[in-house]
Amino acid sequence: MERIDPSQARDHLEMVNRILAESQQRLCAGGEYFVVWGVGSAYVTILFQLADNGLVPGAALWSVPAVLVLCAIFSIYRSRATRATLARSSLLQREFFNVLWLTIGLAFLTNVAAYRIFAGVAGAAIWSLAETIVLLYIGMHGNRRAQIAGVVVLASLIAANFAAPSVSGYVLGAGMLAGYAGFGIAELLAGD
Amino acid sequence: MDELLLSKVRLGVVAELLNFDWIAFSELARSLDVSNGNLGAHLGKLVDAGYVDEEKSFVKRRPLTRYRLTKRGREAFSAHVSQLQSLLQSANS
Repeated sequence: MERIDPSQARDHLEMVNRILAESQQRLCAGGEYFVVWGVGSAYVTILFQLADNGLVPGAALWSVPAVLVLCAIFSIYRSRATRATLARSSLLQREFFNVLWLTIGLAFLTNVAAYRIFAGVAGAAIWSLAETIVLLYIGMHGNRRAQIAGVVVLASLIAANFAAPSVSGYVLGAGMLAGYAGFGIAELLAGD
Repeated sequence: MDELLLSKVRLGVVAELLNFDWIAFSELARSLDVSNGNLGAHLGKLVDAGYVDEEKSFVKRRPLTRYRLTKRGREAFSAHVSQLQSLLQSANS
């Protein structure tokens, strides 16, 4: 049986501590998902408001399912491609994607399956809430941009509550663009 | 004391894998600064012991081998580090 002396034990523990300290990562969010879903959700929200105000024909709403399906296809394709080529894939990253899929997936399902309860602007507000949860979750792991973006989306939700019914959808859409898509662009530009 | 983890390279591999879901072979070799042959031999022992899972695939026609820590490996690492700390404490007292 091999033996180890105290100086070797110290040496081994120091190496372990160094490796663990170096592997403490910030959450890498993947900016492209945020750009796609931010623009997609804002498009749907603003389109509903435009249709509600009689500024676009009701037939334009048929583009909504197509946009959402395109966003979902992009996300699935991108996550599979990224996962296969990553040299390192952290446990934190996996947990983040679980939160992302669960939150956005539930918002999607709620919009489709409970559209009578969350009709009109309430359906859009569900998206704002889901996006706020995702952003603040990333923010909790030390990403300052995500904290700010989460506050922007949350502020748009509160502002929309007090805005006139004819503009509340625009306010929510602006929050999605500035907060969610804006965060994605900031992440892509930062390169992490 | 876990004899498998008395090797500094194998202990380093397990520590590297601790916070990650998967790490590619090339990335492990770069992080630990060991030769491919040396690392391959150590990883083989960890895989045989059930401490580490190995996955071989092809990405754009290039082979990719990735590793991740198993529950057994995680428990062994935790127990081994505790024993190292105890050894140090008893030496200091």
